[in-house]
Amino acid sequence: MQTIGILLPRSTYYQTIGFDLYEGLRSGLKHLEKNDIKIVTENIGFGADKQQCYRSAEKLLLEENADVVIAYIGHRMAQLLRPLFLAANRMLIVLDAGASLPQEWPSCPNIFYHSLHNSLGALLAAKQAVNDGYTSAGMVTGYYDGGYLHTYSISQGFEDYGGKIAFNHATGYKEEDFTMEPLKNHLEQFPNAALLSLFSGDFVQWYFEGIKNVLQEKNISVYLSPFGFEEMMLTDAEYPGVHIKGIAAWSNKIESDENKIFIEVLNETGRIPNLFSLLSWESAFISLKIIELTKECKNNVTQIASGLHSFTFESPRGTICFDKKTNNSISPLYNAIIIESSEGKCELELRNKIDNVLEHFEELTAQELNNVTSAWYNSYACI
Amino acid sequence: MVLCGGKFAFPTLQLLAYEKFICAIGIGKADETIVDALERESEDNHFGFKSFPSSKSIAEMRVWVESIQPDYIFCISFPFLLPESVLTYGENRFINFHPGSLPQYRGSMPIFEVLKNKETETAICAHFMSSKFDKGNIIFNDPVVIDEGDTYGKLTVKLSQRMAQVALNMANMLQFANSIPNHPQDETLACYYEKPELSDTYINWKRMSAEEIIALINACNPWNTGADATLLGEQLKIISAQVLNEMHHCQPGTLVSITETLNIACGDNKQIAVKILSCDEGIMTADQFMEVKKMELKINY
Repeated sequence: MQTIGILLPRSTYYQTIGFDLYEGLRSGLKHLEKNDIKIVTENIGFGADKQQCYRSAEKLLLEENADVVIAYIGHRMAQLLRPLFLAANRMLIVLDAGASLPQEWPSCPNIFYHSLHNSLGALLAAKQAVNDGYTSAGMVTGYYDGGYLHTYSISQGFEDYGGKIAFNHATGYKEEDFTMEPLKNHLEQFPNAALLSLFSGDFVQWYFEGIKNVLQEKNISVYLSPFGFEEMMLTDAEYPGVHIKGIAAWSNKIESDENKIFIEVLNETGRIPNLFSLLSWESAFISLKIIELTKECKNNVTQIASGLHSFTFESPRGTICFDKKTNNSISPLYNAIIIESSEGKCELELRNKIDNVLEHFEELTAQELNNVTSAWYNSYACI
Repeated sequence: MVLCGGKFAFPTLQLLAYEKFICAIGIGKADETIVDALERESEDNHFGFKSFPSSKSIAEMRVWVESIQPDYIFCISFPFLLPESVLTYGENRFINFHPGSLPQYRGSMPIFEVLKNKETETAICAHFMSSKFDKGNIIFNDPVVIDEGDTYGKLTVKLSQRMAQVALNMANMLQFANSIPNHPQDETLACYYEKPELSDTYINWKRMSAEEIIALINACNPWNTGADATLLGEQLKIISAQVLNEMHHCQPGTLVSITETLNIACGDNKQIAVKILSCDEGIMTADQFMEVKKMELKINY
């Protein structure tokens, strides 16, 4: 019997993240009629404890003899596990929020990143702002979200497209320290600035509430990256009454057979489909391909990696393929806006699918980092 | 403890020191200024320090290692073979970081060999040390991409910077692992390269293709001040050149034309365009070289 190992994190904001990731994988395998594959799990807390992550991965590889390991971890933690997977000659699929930048670390044939593309979405949101006529903007984020390199992607992207970052506001990560008050002054000085915003989890709700309380009378435009459009959070977020648009990675409103099946299957298990169950549902396809290639290529990791580079599959968000240079999955992204639901909360409205995502991704990975780096070990949205 | 051979290990020393993994540094046969700088840094950071200027001085290593009691000893371009008397300090306590794939690129200058062989990828290999050069069990080969146009110098800098992260990963692995996966080297894939001699760095115009010549030139820049060649009857070194996709009807090794570069016929009916070279008069561009040659012709005739 083949074994897939999965490292599961926990999150204060997304309390069901571990269950979502597990159920997505289990349901994905079941949908692919692979009931004979054993799933072994290990918990890694917030994904920030190096020893815990390493030992959990080691256990899956050396004790459980997992054929492939899946992990919702950050890029920095993936680097810590890199020698283990090289030494064990096995493949690691990183379920990647995409909050980091792939060019921060060199690629490795043993590690493939299956991404939600938060940084790429941030870059495209910045481009939207420029296309909408904004020449100045402020980057708004929090102490936690601000520690990931999507901040670089959104601000550098805005300036590369001809805009100017006029101000930055990074608020605290505790509810009592979370404030949008400084935006009042910033927007008085720069009244025509767009707000390029990076938040996840509860911070999205607090941010919208902050905008509603502090800035509602102002005619402002807010641009969001994919995690700002996470639909479970939006359901509970007060509609702030300003223009909010940006880039979404997925929505339960995408009309396709694959999305319909994904939603139905997940609902049958009693779970609400979300970005995390989507990511691990898709990882079932990738894992099975790796298992098939491992047999075909007699464990030659370079050949397995090469096989994955030419692998494509249909997922609930569209066709997924891989970028050879960075071993990142490339998936469709969508222009989206936030509208008010009948309960006065937020709702995602999809506009159109973005063309040429691979080209945009190559543009993102061509950004010179100029020694910027992220020190956060946490799996994104896991605090 | 880190045993190193000089500047190549500096980024690793900095990162391992920052992450508080280092207790002592040993350096073998290096420039005096480098030895002095490392000794000063070691003193400032309260690390043990010892210089091993010759293979004879290795006899003092065991006593020194015993006095420091490191958990592990990392070797990065340390120039001397460690004898059994040192390695018995602890089984699997000595880890070498070889700047090339093993077992394919054993030897002291794998960076030269991979470039000469036109590889598109090399690796940093972490392996347990045995009393034979580059032969212990492999822990992992961490791949490093070779970009087009990479010279020995560029690739060395790239590997030196990458080495820091690889060594840190290894240190973390040793800190957290219950066991370190490793495997014996596959002797059927093994190749040992001796230190390059003139015959290895010399351009054979007749037998080598333009691509092979460019690969050799890049592999010799800067450590050999370029690839050795005979041109216009003179022994010189070609430092920088590129392939010129133009056919010719000349003997290989003939100067076909002079533009901003010296365009030389190769054995595969292509040419190479030489930009910088080193001759008895010094290091110069193709233009400067031709000026010198014209002057010489005027003086002689």
